[in-house]
Amino acid sequence: MTPVTHAPETANVVVQAVQQAAQAHSHTEVMTVLVLQLAMIIICARLGGFLFQRFLKLPSVLGELVSGMVIGPYALGARIPLPGIGPLFATQTIGLPVSSELYAIATVASIVLLFLSGLETDLRTFLRYSVVGSIVGLGGLLFSFILGDLCAVWFGLAPSFMHPTALFLGTISTATSVGITARILTEKHKMSSPEGVTILAGAVIDDVLGIVVLAIVVGMAKVESSGVAMEWSHIGIIAAKALSFWLVCTALGLLLARKLTGSLKRLGSPEVIVSVSLGLAMLLAGLSEMAGLAMIIGAYIMGLSLSRTDVVQELQNRLQGVYDMLVPIFFCVMGMMVDFSAMRHALVFGLIYSAVAIFAKIIGCGLPAYLTQFNFRGSLRIGLGMLPRGEVALIVAGIGLSSHAIGQDIFGVAILMTILTTMIAPPLLVRSFRGESGLKDHIQVTEEKEETFTLEFPSMDIAEFLMQRLVRAFQREEFFVNRLHLEMEAYQVRKDDLSFTLTREDGRITISVPSDQQYVARLMIFEELLSLSDLLEASKNMKSLDVMGSELIGNLFC
Amino acid sequence: MNLKKILTKDSILPELKADTKKGVIEEMISLLVAAGKFSGKTAAVQAVLAREEKMSTGMQNGIAIPHGKTDAVDQLVAAVGIHHAGIDFAAMDAKPSHIFILTLSPENRAGPHIQFLAEISKVLSRPNLREKLLNAASTDEILNLLTV
Repeated sequence: MTPVTHAPETANVVVQAVQQAAQAHSHTEVMTVLVLQLAMIIICARLGGFLFQRFLKLPSVLGELVSGMVIGPYALGARIPLPGIGPLFATQTIGLPVSSELYAIATVASIVLLFLSGLETDLRTFLRYSVVGSIVGLGGLLFSFILGDLCAVWFGLAPSFMHPTALFLGTISTATSVGITARILTEKHKMSSPEGVTILAGAVIDDVLGIVVLAIVVGMAKVESSGVAMEWSHIGIIAAKALSFWLVCTALGLLLARKLTGSLKRLGSPEVIVSVSLGLAMLLAGLSEMAGLAMIIGAYIMGLSLSRTDVVQELQNRLQGVYDMLVPIFFCVMGMMVDFSAMRHALVFGLIYSAVAIFAKIIGCGLPAYLTQFNFRGSLRIGLGMLPRGEVALIVAGIGLSSHAIGQDIFGVAILMTILTTMIAPPLLVRSFRGESGLKDHIQVTEEKEETFTLEFPSMDIAEFLMQRLVRAFQREEFFVNRLHLEMEAYQVRKDDLSFTLTREDGRITISVPSDQQYVARLMIFEELLSLSDLLEASKNMKSLDVMGSELIGNLFC
Repeated sequence: MNLKKILTKDSILPELKADTKKGVIEEMISLLVAAGKFSGKTAAVQAVLAREEKMSTGMQNGIAIPHGKTDAVDQLVAAVGIHHAGIDFAAMDAKPSHIFILTLSPENRAGPHIQFLAEISKVLSRPNLREKLLNAASTDEILNLLTV
């Protein structure tokens, strides 16, 4: 053995060690930047959302989006220096404007968002309720898609109707975000009105069909971007593939979800149920991407499948924390991807596209409403209620951008349209609900006025407690109780043709109910108040506070 | 809600004989037991009386809706009784009660129990129907008035 023969090996080992150390350093640096970026995003998104909600009375999502625009690489982010590293949000030279790591977290957030959207979908209620709702939803979807798509063709952004850019602009324009409408209708006690019920039912079909349209469009865009010339036979195959994936997964999901959750429940651990469900949502998201569709489609299908199981409330409650933490990151990252310089060139197009998106929903949803049971006023209310676009439009735009089906300019246009439709809808909707009934004359005869009654409680805790008991009592009576995602605690309670709204703000519970349906609401609440008084009575039988107090803390300072 | 599914001819008393609150409740529950709707009369009477103790179910305009939850029944059962002279049921408007709708529902089983009471209360809110019920001569007529 001579040292000379070992010299090259030793050198190799040293080189490898240096490379590994450099790699480790590089990983550490990447992770450090990511953590610092996340710190900035989480704080700014939350504060932005809070400010928009509190002072502008606009949805927090807009605040999160605008925060992203402000701190993103095209604005302040490029000017915040990190010592020895560079700008906090440097503009990426290739691919997306944000780092892959950050985009990965936003993708996980979009999966959680769509999984929860699926969980919230009230399929049974929708199927039971609304013929008008489904026509309204379908009308809005078709008008929005076709006009959004044609916009791209008319302005020369896409050579044909079937071009991916045009298809994406059509799809971005379809998805209604009904949250803001629900908040306004609840505040105005109009949630149980014929318009309110129709809008909510319409939004369900809008969601479901919107996802099916996205599945087909993503499939087509992928084929187109691979350089294969798109023929009608291709479109047919892609549509059939997307629809069959959707139908098979949804049918299997709906069939197996109860068995699955039944088996999981035997383990007696809610944590396991929640983790396995979220894991399955991610699994199906990955499978749908592998099948040539978008990840959010799989996540939505898993949510939809589990929406009819009895663990849905548990899943929603336990995942709310994950949602609250991750989803603002998603919206903020979407805002960060807005390139103002690219958008400047497309500003006129953006304004026209937004106007078309507004027109498409008002006509697309309003016209079917007008042709069925609503007058002009009612149809306008429904059109305006379906107007706001939100999270799904942003996710679709993000998918379009990452798959290069749309560019930075069109992405900016999508964000602009989302912001404009969300901002313009509330004041118009409030104004439209002033005045007479929205039903046609011959239907108005049977329409009853809405009664609103309010119960005041001495503390928020008591009102909150009673509200939970009321929800359980209505569920025991086989009502469908649907939690509305509003700032205040609000539920829509429905069964057959009964529909009313329960809201709680601080120590006040308000019930809005059509007057011919007030009997059941009044009796149910009365019985729950009586049982509450039973509880208070029973609490008098507890040991006295002095005895309990001395048992608990009497010996602490001995 | 279809009231015909719950209300049957054999659970209607066109002329209640008892003249006290407890008596009326017992008489109506006995009718349901005799009709083979359930057994366990004592538990059912106790459940309804316990609910009455919290607050009377005597409403306005001669209507009372005594009800209770008990595992003596497997599903919602209901009886209708008419008392032409009227009895003191500690009603809200302090007037005598004439029309009684009694329901019993299982303690911990989901079902449209209060909804039944609500539906029948809605029907009874029509003054002319109340008038017709008081003048009805047979169980068929009463059933017909409440379910058509």
